[in-house]
Amino acid sequence: MNRRSSSTLVWVADHAVFLALAVVFLAPFAFILLTSVMSPARAGTSFGWPTSFHWDNYAEVFHRLPMLKYTGNSFLYAGLATLFMLVSSVPAAYAMARIQFRGSGVLLVAVIGMMLLPPQVTSVPLYVMWSKLGLTGTLWPLILPNLLGDAFSIFLLRQFFLTIPKEYSEAARLDGCGELRTLLRVIVPMAKPGIAATAIFMFFASWNDYYGPLLYTSENESAWPVSYALAQFRGAHSVDWNLTMAATVIAMVPVLIIFFLAQRIFVQGVTLTGVKG
Amino acid sequence: MTTRKTWLVVPALVAVAALAACSGGSGADGPTAAASAPSEVTGTVEFWHFFTDREADTIQSVVDDFEKANPGVTVHVKSGQDDQKMRQAISAGKAIDVGMSYSTDQVGPLCSSGDFVDLSSFIQRDKVDLTQIPDTVLGYTSYKDVRCTMPALADVYGLYYNKDLLSAAGYTEPPKTLDELSDMAVKLTTFNDDGSIKQLGFMPLLGYYENAEAHWAPAADAQWLNDDGTSAIGSSPGWNAILEWQKDLIDRLGGYKKLADFQAALGQEFSAENDFQTGKVAMNLDGEYRTAFIADQAPDLDYGTAPFPSAKGYEDSYGAGYITGNIMGIGKGAKNPEAAWALIKYLTMNADAQVKLANGIKNAPTMHDAIVSPDLEVSPQFKTFLDIFENPKSSTTPPSGIGAEYQTIFGTHTAKWQQGDVTDLPGMLTTVDDEIDAAVKLQAG
Amino acid sequence: MASTIQRRRNRAALGLLTPALLGMIVFFVFPLVVTVYLSFTAFDLSNPPRWNDFANWRFLVSGDPLIGTAIVNTLWFVAILVPARIVGALFVGWVLTRARRSSGALRTVYYLPALIPPVAATIAFVFVLNPATGPVNEMLGWFGIDGPGWFTDPAWAKPSLVLLGLWVLGDIMVIFLASLLDVPTEQYEAAELDGASTRQQFWFVTVPNMTPVLLFALITGIIGALQYFTEPAVASSTAMGKSMVGEGASGALGWPDQSTLTYGQLLYSKAFGANLMGYASAMAVVLFVVAALVMAVLLRRFRSFTPDVAS
Repeated sequence: MNRRSSSTLVWVADHAVFLALAVVFLAPFAFILLTSVMSPARAGTSFGWPTSFHWDNYAEVFHRLPMLKYTGNSFLYAGLATLFMLVSSVPAAYAMARIQFRGSGVLLVAVIGMMLLPPQVTSVPLYVMWSKLGLTGTLWPLILPNLLGDAFSIFLLRQFFLTIPKEYSEAARLDGCGELRTLLRVIVPMAKPGIAATAIFMFFASWNDYYGPLLYTSENESAWPVSYALAQFRGAHSVDWNLTMAATVIAMVPVLIIFFLAQRIFVQGVTLTGVKG
Repeated sequence: MTTRKTWLVVPALVAVAALAACSGGSGADGPTAAASAPSEVTGTVEFWHFFTDREADTIQSVVDDFEKANPGVTVHVKSGQDDQKMRQAISAGKAIDVGMSYSTDQVGPLCSSGDFVDLSSFIQRDKVDLTQIPDTVLGYTSYKDVRCTMPALADVYGLYYNKDLLSAAGYTEPPKTLDELSDMAVKLTTFNDDGSIKQLGFMPLLGYYENAEAHWAPAADAQWLNDDGTSAIGSSPGWNAILEWQKDLIDRLGGYKKLADFQAALGQEFSAENDFQTGKVAMNLDGEYRTAFIADQAPDLDYGTAPFPSAKGYEDSYGAGYITGNIMGIGKGAKNPEAAWALIKYLTMNADAQVKLANGIKNAPTMHDAIVSPDLEVSPQFKTFLDIFENPKSSTTPPSGIGAEYQTIFGTHTAKWQQGDVTDLPGMLTTVDDEIDAAVKLQAG
Repeated sequence: MASTIQRRRNRAALGLLTPALLGMIVFFVFPLVVTVYLSFTAFDLSNPPRWNDFANWRFLVSGDPLIGTAIVNTLWFVAILVPARIVGALFVGWVLTRARRSSGALRTVYYLPALIPPVAATIAFVFVLNPATGPVNEMLGWFGIDGPGWFTDPAWAKPSLVLLGLWVLGDIMVIFLASLLDVPTEQYEAAELDGASTRQQFWFVTVPNMTPVLLFALITGIIGALQYFTEPAVASSTAMGKSMVGEGASGALGWPDQSTLTYGQLLYSKAFGANLMGYASAMAVVLFVVAALVMAVLLRRFRSFTPDVAS
């Protein structure tokens, strides 16, 4: 497959496949965008090119729903969760990657286990716990746990830290730096791309989360993040497809912007989740 | 520096863990009535209900009246809260003073868990005249002699029929028996060239709009539960009659697949695209509130209403129907129980308020003075439902400690039945009994 | 072992790890123990749990009419959705290795759907596949094909979710792509000299080199399928025309006809819809055991490509 394909025929076939796949992956986006600017009557019958463009559908969505509030909630959730995760998980990941201590093997297995644990397993006791604290109906049950580490982030950060040559941390130690200083002065600056990738993952995972907000915020509309609110939109308001699609676009835009701004770091991060280490 | 910060969190979380270990809470010891009624109620009331849009506006207008009559009280209204969210919030200890649910299925869990407090101390102190409330309604608003809810309007189910479509097919009267319903449904059904259904006489599939086992049950006096809370479904012959009728009609209309395809393209129930309102379906089971939706969304529709037809052998129960209602109660975490009670009393036992609510959202009032009030707007179509409401044979789904779980269990089997996957109907009903009885044990301590 | 250096390292590690260790206890060990306890009780959240022996477990084994359906559906997703995504991602990744100049742009295009929130992706897909008003059936109609009911048809609802899963396969595709590009060229050249066909090269060169990533995708895929929740839940509530006002989130789960009811959804609806927290805890214990078994079996292999903790 790495052979140089000289024949034009292969070239044509290749590009036909590239194009076909691109169409398949992009077509739904086109449908969503087109529908989001259709009139209700057009969107309600059969599909086709919009007869007229209704950009005011977007205004209508903001008019019907507190979209700004929802978006703000999403930023609060994703932003704080990411910040807290970094504070707690970077040191833990560093310890697991660079310090030899007793029980480190068991700990790694435990972290992987936690990372893969279905959230439904612990939902009931955790819900009870947060309700005792009076924090159900808010996003805090989803934000605060990150102060105590996030398994996936720890795992990922550890993978990144392992790629940094050991000599750097050894040198810092020889200079008399403590572990914390070594981490902050040597490792963190060198692992910036990895830390950034982990942060973006955390941010996206929180932004996209549906189960958590369903569990903890469903009773309190003023705490809904945008992805949960979107799921409620069509069911609760029996609205037309065009408005639903406009709301869908609004929910997509922030992640797409962040992605394009940090594409390189992001793809590098994705790659490192699964491979090597 | 990071470690020190996080150390601050540690004691807090240990405390959390300890707290949660002794899970469960105050139980049934919620607020009760003061010895004597306060001369003037004051403070704020947190009021959660499930209505949205137009109907929520009506609720708000009556709440405004209440605030005008009680200047010291401010009511915070939270609309669009479904039962699941409300129960979750009350269980979690949220200070919800007044909750309103659309589902009488919740009365069992709400009363037995203590989520809604026992109202008897308030009722006795204020000498509330419960004889104003019809017996069926009194029955579905309490559970095992604990009255934790009051009725705020009722929903009554009957048959809607499109007069134009019926007369075009040569009918002047709505069906009175299920067999007549079937015959008319077949005649009123037309097909497209490709064999798909164009216009449907009556949809026999459960799960379509308001088609539900519970809403069909009165047609054959079918029973749900025994007095001890165990399942009566297998031993109640009515279910057999209803399900056999359903299967027969499905076959006569072209089979499950064809009907399911039709259902896949249905219009949103509470939008103007509702199949009955657009004429895609000639006859449909629905609640009295539909009259308000039709007036709002399809004012030109020429339609009539009638009690739902009865099964063969149950002709004497014609005129009865399924009743359910909105219920109101005081949450166990209520901060201001006296004002909460005042609001409940106003919405449930004040004839003027009941009439205004009923006129606004077209539900049946749940107190006698309001039903007979000259101010109640009664169209001929709406009158049908008031008659069904007062019919002594009208019934509801009984409250249970497991909520609507027994209906869910039955529903999983009827879903297979209507697809034709079940050959042994009595055997299926016995399985239903076993499963419900096992579920009932889940909440027995 | 017990040298001063080692002890100092242990202490330093402990200091750095304290928050994470606490997190493990509070959000993992402790809830797990409580869940096991609750599985033997009747618990409705409002009142303290009451011991009810094995009532929950009996209901789980022989009472609940839905749990069989939920298990079968979940296994269906494990057996179909997971391999479909892996094969699809492998194919798209391989296609990308053939693109030279345009590979960056194409990669972005193919990856894009994986990025958008699952709720948005699901709603969009339900619209695209809507039998009455969606573009797909409209286009099938041009060719005289009567499109299926997709998300509204019990027979098609699960396959529709697989299509959705394929649309958003970018997440594993990117990983595969990196791994594909990592395969040493010399190995292909050697295989070609030995007269290996393209297919043989794929099986004897590409696949062995990719074992770690394939395994990773398999593990995360299976675990993801075991907890599959968001997509089916949103698809059901979006596709059903019935209004959900007043009914709560559990009302729509599995629609149509429980065809998309997964184990995770059933667990959620029993716990927070029916308030049968004790029973839901029993279901949670089962889910944990199954997930742990999957992990235990596959982790043996997993460890082999995760190098030992740094020394």
